Amino acid sequence: MPFPNVRLSNRPLHFIYLCDCSGSMAAQGKMQALNQAIRQSLPGMAEVAEQNPEARVLVRAVRFADGAAWHLAEPTPVQELQWRDLEAGGITAMGEALELVAGVLQSPPMEERALPPVLVLISDGQPTDDFDAGLSQLMRQPWAQKAVRLAIAMGHDADLEVLQQFIGPEPSGGGKSPRRPLQASNATTLAQYIQWASTAVVGAASMPASRLDDTPQDAGNIPLPDLPPTLLDPVDDVGPLVW
Amino acid sequence: MNSLLPLGTRLPFDGLDQPLELTRLLGGGTQGQVYAVRCGAEELALKWYFPSCIARDPLLRQRLQQSIRLGAPNGAFLWPMALLEPSAESRPLIRCQEPGFGYLMPLRPSGFQGAHLHAGGRMEISLQNILRACFHLADAFHELHLKGLCYKDISLGNLFLRPGDGAILICDNDNVAIDGQGAGSVLGTPGFMAPEVLLGAAKPSASTDQFSLAVLLFRLLTRHDPFRGRQELAIRCLDEPARRRLYGEEALFIFDPENPANRPDPEEHAAALLTWPIYPRSLQQLFETSFGAGLRQPGMRPLTGQWKQVLARCLDHRHLCQHCGEELFHSGPCWSCGHTNPAVLQLQLPRGQVAACPGNDLYPHHFDGRDSERLDQPLAQLIGHPTDPSVVGLRNLGATAWQGQLSNGQLLEVEPGKTCNVAALQQLSTQAGPITPIRR
Repeated sequence: MPFPNVRLSNRPLHFIYLCDCSGSMAAQGKMQALNQAIRQSLPGMAEVAEQNPEARVLVRAVRFADGAAWHLAEPTPVQELQWRDLEAGGITAMGEALELVAGVLQSPPMEERALPPVLVLISDGQPTDDFDAGLSQLMRQPWAQKAVRLAIAMGHDADLEVLQQFIGPEPSGGGKSPRRPLQASNATTLAQYIQWASTAVVGAASMPASRLDDTPQDAGNIPLPDLPPTLLDPVDDVGPLVW
Repeated sequence: MNSLLPLGTRLPFDGLDQPLELTRLLGGGTQGQVYAVRCGAEELALKWYFPSCIARDPLLRQRLQQSIRLGAPNGAFLWPMALLEPSAESRPLIRCQEPGFGYLMPLRPSGFQGAHLHAGGRMEISLQNILRACFHLADAFHELHLKGLCYKDISLGNLFLRPGDGAILICDNDNVAIDGQGAGSVLGTPGFMAPEVLLGAAKPSASTDQFSLAVLLFRLLTRHDPFRGRQELAIRCLDEPARRRLYGEEALFIFDPENPANRPDPEEHAAALLTWPIYPRSLQQLFETSFGAGLRQPGMRPLTGQWKQVLARCLDHRHLCQHCGEELFHSGPCWSCGHTNPAVLQLQLPRGQVAACPGNDLYPHHFDGRDSERLDQPLAQLIGHPTDPSVVGLRNLGATAWQGQLSNGQLLEVEPGKTCNVAALQQLSTQAGPITPIRR
C-alpha cells in the first residue's frame, strides 16, 4: 500500500515582477531581452518550486509605462505560467506600479499566512511620476516590509538611487551585493540575474538552504544567496553597452 | 546555465592518470557545479567549486583529502573519491579567473529520487519502504559516527530515495569532518539544525547530527514537521526570525507528552495527525525524547544504534489490515479504517519475532545477537502463494536446506529457493537457528 496521501502543509510565496516598459526599452532590443530572460528562467524556477515542499510559488507581473497595469494579474503557479511578451512604449510610471503592488500585499487579498514575498523591479530609466508617494504607500504594507526586494538596472541610464530606495538601506562596504541594484549591461548578465532571482532567491525565501557560519547578522529577515559568479563574463560591469 | 568547465572535452587533472571526459552539466548551486564525467570506462560525477565557496571555506581542501583517505562509511554515501586540481594544461580551459578545484564521486544511479518529493507528497512509496529508508539512514550515520566523523548538514535536500526498495543515497559529503574539530563553515539547514546551533551556542557535531537525524526521520515518516503545530498558526510571515523562534527559542514538539500547547491543527497539519498513530509507541518515544529532553540536553538524544533497533523491530511487526489492506506496525486498531484485527501469526526466532506477512524478511540479526541489525542479505522471505495470496509461505533464501516438522508430525525438507506453507508448520530448523510459528 502506498504511503498515505498527505503532505506537509505549504504556504504561498508571491513572486512579483515590476517591469519597466517605457519607450526607451524598445531601443536596442532591451524589451525582447527582458522577455527572453524571464521566459528562459521559468523552467529553472518551476524546478526550484518543485523541490520546495513548503512553498506554493505564485507569479505575477506589473508593467509600467504611461501608467501601471497588471500584465499578469492572476497569481499563477510557476509550473503553469506561459510568459506573454511585454511591449515597450510610453514614459516611466514607476510610482504607480508600486501602488498597484501595495494593493495586493494588503490582507485581504493577501493570505493570512505566507512566505516572504519576492519583488523584482527592473528598470532602464528614471521614474516620471511620484515615485516617493508610490514607495511610501508600498512600504506601509507589512508584507512589503517583509518582502525580499531586488532591483535590476538595465543599461547605464537607470536611476540607481531610486532602485536603492526600493531595496532599502544600502549595505555598508563596497562591492556587489544583492541589496544593491544589480547592473545588467548586456543581455547575458540580465538573464543571469533574472535566473538567480527566480531560482536561488525563491529557494532562500521558501525553504532555508544550508547555512554558513559567515552569514552576517544584519542579513535581514531572509539571508540572500550569493550573486551568480560573473567571472564567467569578464566584460560585465565595465561597459561598453551591448544594447 | 553557463558551465565553468568546457563540456565535451577531455580535461587532464593533477592526480589522475587519465583525462576526464566531461559529458554533461548535471546541476549547479551556490557552491559550484556538478558534471557527469567519463573516466576510462567508468561514469562518475565531478563537483567543481566556485572561487567564492573556496574563499570562505579555507579548510575545504583539507577536509576532502581527509575524507578520501578515510573512505566511505558505507555504500549509502556518494563519497569523495579523488581531489582534482587543474593541471597546467587544463587551467586555461577553465572559464574562471581562479581555476579552483573539485572532487570526483560516484554518479547517482537512475531510480533514486530526491527526498523532497516524498515530503511534498509526490513520491509513490510504501510505508514499509519508507521505514526501510529510515533504517538505512540511521545505519549510514551510525557508521559515519563510528568512524569519528560528523556530517553537519543532515536535511531533506541531501537525501535520495529509491521508492521500490527504500534504498538511500546521501550526497553533499564535503562538510564531513572529524567530530569536535570545528573545521568548516557550514552550520546546517534551518528546520533541521539542533537548537544550540541555530541559536549560535554550538558548532555542528555528532551530537547535533543526532538531532538533525531525528528531524529528518520524523519528516520522512509523517510528511510533517516536528515543530509546526498551533504555534505556527500565529506566524503570519514565515521568515528567518520566525524560524528562529519556531525551531530554537520557543521550540516545542507537536506531540510533546507533557505540554499540549503546540498540537497540530486538524486542518493545517492534517498529515501529522494521520501518520503519527501509524507507528508503535517504541518509535514514538524516541521522537518524544529527541524533541523533548533532547531539545536542550544533547546528552539525552537517542543514539543511532537505538533508532536502528527500534526501526528494525517496527518492520518486523508489519502486517496488513484484513479490512482495508493498509500496512500496520502495532497491534492496535487499524490507523486507517479503525478495524480491530485478530492477532497475526508470528515467527519466533532466537532474537525476536517477525509477523508472518508477505513482504517481511528474516535476517541474520534475528538469529545471532552478535550481528547488528542489517536489512541486506535476508535469510528468508515471507511471500504469498502465486495463485492464492492468502496462503503465506516462507522462502529459503540461504544456501542450505531447512528441516521442517508439521503439526501432524510429518517431516519435510525445504531446499534453497523453495517455499514452505507456514500454516501447517510446527517448527523449522535452519543453519542459522530455529524458526517456530506462534499461534495465539
